[in-house]
Parts: sequence; C-alpha cells; structure tokens
Amino acid sequence: MPTLTTGSSTRRVGWSKDDLRSLIDLEKGFIDRRIFWDQEIYQLELERIFARCWLFVGHESQIPNPDDFITTYMGEDPVIVARDLQNRINVLLNSCPHRGNRIVFAEAGTRRRFNCNYHGWSFAADGSLVGLPAEELYEQTCPGFDKKDFGLIKARVGTYNGLIFATFDEEAPPLEEYLGDFRWYLDVLLDNDEGGTEFIDGSVKSQMNCNWKLPAENFVGDSYHAAWTHNSGAVGMLGQPVGKINQDRSFAVSVNGHGWQFGLDMIGNAMTLGEQEILDYLRSREQVVAERLGKIRSRMVGSVSSANMFPHFAFLPGHSTFRVWHPRGPNKIELHTWVLVNKNCPEHIKELYRKGVMRTFSPTGVFEMDDGENWEHCTATAAGVVARRQKLHYGLGMNSQIEHDELKGEVHLRKYNDANQRAFYRQWLKLMCDER
Amino acid sequence: MPVFLGDTPVIRRPAPPPPVDPAVTLETYYRVQQFLYLECRLLDEERYEEWLGLLTEDIHYWMPLVQARYRKDPKPRYDPHRMAYYDDDLFTLRRRITRALHPTAWAEDPPTRTVHHVSNIEVERTDNPDEYRVYSTFTCCRGRNEVEESVLHGRRVDLLRETPNGLRLARREIYITQSVLLSKNLNVFL
Repeated sequence: MPTLTTGSSTRRVGWSKDDLRSLIDLEKGFIDRRIFWDQEIYQLELERIFARCWLFVGHESQIPNPDDFITTYMGEDPVIVARDLQNRINVLLNSCPHRGNRIVFAEAGTRRRFNCNYHGWSFAADGSLVGLPAEELYEQTCPGFDKKDFGLIKARVGTYNGLIFATFDEEAPPLEEYLGDFRWYLDVLLDNDEGGTEFIDGSVKSQMNCNWKLPAENFVGDSYHAAWTHNSGAVGMLGQPVGKINQDRSFAVSVNGHGWQFGLDMIGNAMTLGEQEILDYLRSREQVVAERLGKIRSRMVGSVSSANMFPHFAFLPGHSTFRVWHPRGPNKIELHTWVLVNKNCPEHIKELYRKGVMRTFSPTGVFEMDDGENWEHCTATAAGVVARRQKLHYGLGMNSQIEHDELKGEVHLRKYNDANQRAFYRQWLKLMCDER
Repeated sequence: MPVFLGDTPVIRRPAPPPPVDPAVTLETYYRVQQFLYLECRLLDEERYEEWLGLLTEDIHYWMPLVQARYRKDPKPRYDPHRMAYYDDDLFTLRRRITRALHPTAWAEDPPTRTVHHVSNIEVERTDNPDEYRVYSTFTCCRGRNEVEESVLHGRRVDLLRETPNGLRLARREIYITQSVLLSKNLNVFL
C-alpha cells in the first residue's frame, strides 16, 4: 500500500516560532486577533493541526455493514470513510491519484468499488487501485508501472467507543494517547449504557462566515455566554430565562486541549429540548448510570455543559448534538452536525431527541441562531487593522485550578472561566510551533 | 448513409403528460393564490402570530434535509425519520416564534429583512372535498445588517383545507436546492 504522503506540502512562511508565541499570552490571558484573520496562519493550521491531529470523521453506526461509506473532510481534504469486506474501517483521500478528480460525490451509500468519473480508475474500500481501462497499455508503455503504487492515500484510523478518528500524520501518537484521560469524560456520553451509541440518520450542514476557532473555543469552555446570548432561546423552550448556575459546584476540565465545562445538575441542557419524556428517561436511568460510571459522572449526562475535542469536534451533553467545524479559509467554516443517542433508547425517545435538537441546535434552532451571528462578527471585525492591534481578553478564572479526588485532567473550579480556552490555545500554540 | 436512430429502443420517446385537473375552478385557484400571497406578506412583515392563525391545529410543517445519494442507492434522498430543518407542529412553531419575537433575540435586532416570492402554483383536488393539494415554488431573499444577503430557492407541496374561517394550511413540505445550507442560520419560515 502507498505511504501516507509522498512529499512535503509544507511551504516556508513568515511566521517564526517566536512570532507565533507572541500571539498567545497565557500568563495574562490575551490572544492576538490575527489568529482569526491571517491567511498564512490559516495555512499553517491546515498543515500543523489539521494534517497532524486525530480528527473525528464519523460514528461507526453510519457505516454498519461492509461496503458502507460516508464522505467527509479532514481539514480541507475530502475523505471517504469506508468499511471493507474484512469489516475494517478505512479513511481514504477522496481524490484520484491519476488527475486528482474527486471520486465519491454521494455523502453516504453502499458501494463495493469507487470509480473515478474521469477515466474510470476503480478503487476498493481499502483504497487499492483494482482496475483501470486499457490496463495492458499501462503495462506495455509505462516502465515500472505498478497498480500498488496508485492507491488512494490512506489515513491512520482509530476508534473509541463508536467514534471514528483518523490522522494523516505517521508520527502522531496513538489515538489512546491523543485522547488521554479525556476518554474518562467521553464515557459519560459514549458508555453510559451497555448497548453503546449511534447517530440518528442525517447530518445537518451549514456554512458560517467565522474562523473555526471561535465555535471551538465557545464549546470548549464558554459557559459565560449562555445566559446572555441564549436568553431568547431559553424563553422559547422553557418559558423562562437560563437558570442561575451554582458556580462552586461547576468545573472546567481539560486534557491535551480537549475541554469540557459542566455543572452537576444532570438535566439542565436536556431541559431546553422542551420534552418532559426525555427528562423522565434520563431520570429513570440515573441509578443505572451511577452504578456504571459513578455518581459524579452520572450527574454530567445531561447537565448544563459543553465540550470541544481539539481541534474542532464539539458536543453538548443533554442536547446530544455532535458537530465538526470544518475549516474553509480563515473566515469560513462548514458546520456538520449529528444527534447521538443510546442504541437501547426507546424509539419514541430517539424521535424526541431528533426533533428537539433540530429546534435548538440546527440552523433553525433557537439557540444556534444567536451563536452564528456572534461568531461571524467576532471574525469580521478582525478585518480592521486597529481592531487587530487590540488583543482579546481570556483572563477569567486565573488561579482557579484545583485538585479533585475524582475528576481527571486539569481541573478548574467554576465554569464561568476561560481556563479551557487558555488550554485550547496552549495546545494550538504547541502544535503550531512544531516545525518538523 | 444518414444516421437514423428513430427505431432504436435506447433513444427516449415522448410519453403522455399527466392530466390537468379540470374540476378546480378559477375561483378556487384565485383563493389559493391570494392565500399564499397573504402568507408571504405576513411573514415579510414579521406578523408571525397572524401567520400562526393561517395554520390548522394539526399543522405538520416539514422541511427535510436532502442527502446526496447515488441514483442506484435504495435509500431515499429524503426520509421523514432523518434530521430536518423543520419537523414541527403548531406548539413547536409557537415556541420558535416566541424566541423570534423576544426582545433578547439579539440576532433579530435590528430585524432581518425578507422578501418571499411564490410562483408556479398548481391546485389539485384530493380525496377529501375540503382539501386541496397545492404545488408551488418560492424564492426567499434575506438581507441582514449591512451587506449580508442570502437567497433560498425551493419547491413546496401544501395541503390547504377549507374551514369556516376560510382556507388554512394543514401541511407543508419544503424542498430547497441547497444540501449544505449556505448561511449561518435559517431564521425564516418558507
């Protein structure tokens, strides 16, 4: 099989390590706005973050059987996620090595072979080139031509409790190490039931004119915006504003740039889906979940909370929306979202989740609508040179780190706290300064 | 020899077009048309509570996602059990409108400006003499803040019902052309 990459795509750019370090002041909590606007920084992000990190590419339930596939992106690279006849999951660059044409255009389906529309080169689910028209001429007239050298570029693939991740970096640490202790938190949603999880069919896709880091930092730890930004949504769904949060019973935790901010209220996020039966379902399971995961994690299942896994995979416990902020230039993203449910969840409850998430966190959702407006204009104002000279403040919750008997990773008290955002940018800076 | 393909079974032939329903009167057509125009104006003037008044108690308001799937794929491109933009009843539409009209709906203040156009209206009878199936197409242009503009094109299939208060909308299916919504949100009814 072909190696992961056959050449360096790294250009020399004007940003030295020292330049990059000057953008992020973690001690005082200030961020330079050029990271939301600069084209060269964005190109570096594609090379040093998106072509190196383990990126979420799908849920195993989206491709349950051999020959099933979905298409998605890793950074701006289109990829195919395909299950082969040996039941292995393959992540393949969706571009023909012959003339570069895109190969698969459907977003999901079932196919034994992926045929390029241009000249008919045909690839198997493991990426190998299995046929091409006039193959004998290639053999006769191209010295050394070997089909084995012309498979689709393959990414490394790893799974964790149903989630599929991939990386194009041969030197990346194993997925287990990349996730680290964040797995302990992920299990709150991925392993609270013995039957495991699945995505409800259908991915909602939309575009926003914002830098990808703004939604990522929002989900990684911006509890602070919720009561103000989303007041109108809460009134629509609950008939009243967002409730007061007991800050001293809430936390911001981070591991390797992944972050989760949460209270221990168990159902606060879920309440805003506006369906009593969902709350009854969650409450009916509290004891089972506590026995499985311990009391503290059982209180996180649907609590007022949000999370982002570095770099761009985010979710909301309770709402059960899972989403990726695909970068599309320094000031554009394509947002893909799904709804995660327990496989064993009763069908009519799954249906309530489907509709509840649609009404809250989708383009028509009463919460998401106000988020997009904020992120777009946080980005757009960075067009101004004077605006870009002003660094932005990320200093809330300095010195809030605590030791906790149960919670893993870096734990900060109080979710009105920029600690997870600082941890996100610490990871960002570390990867951006890796010049290999 | 001239190339002649007329008898080749591969080449497609004309088929009889579907009949136009002759029993739908001009008056009915006119009332349906006026109903749809009024609805557009109420939406464009943000008269959402009056718009709700045009809906029946059992309204089903559905705007599915389209999934790009190959023609041979047995799974449909639209599916009622998939995620959707709208899959609403009257109560959930009331919730959305409660948010839209709330003074803290920041993304609606200043208000979004919209123009709905409706065209290609066809009216058919159904098995129920009080209900019509109505096909139409629309464009919806939104202007927001300074230079933001977003245009959506779509097709609709409606069920309109005769009631003592006049025509009311009992069901709507909305199919847009975009598979990735090229906007940050969908803050309009279509």
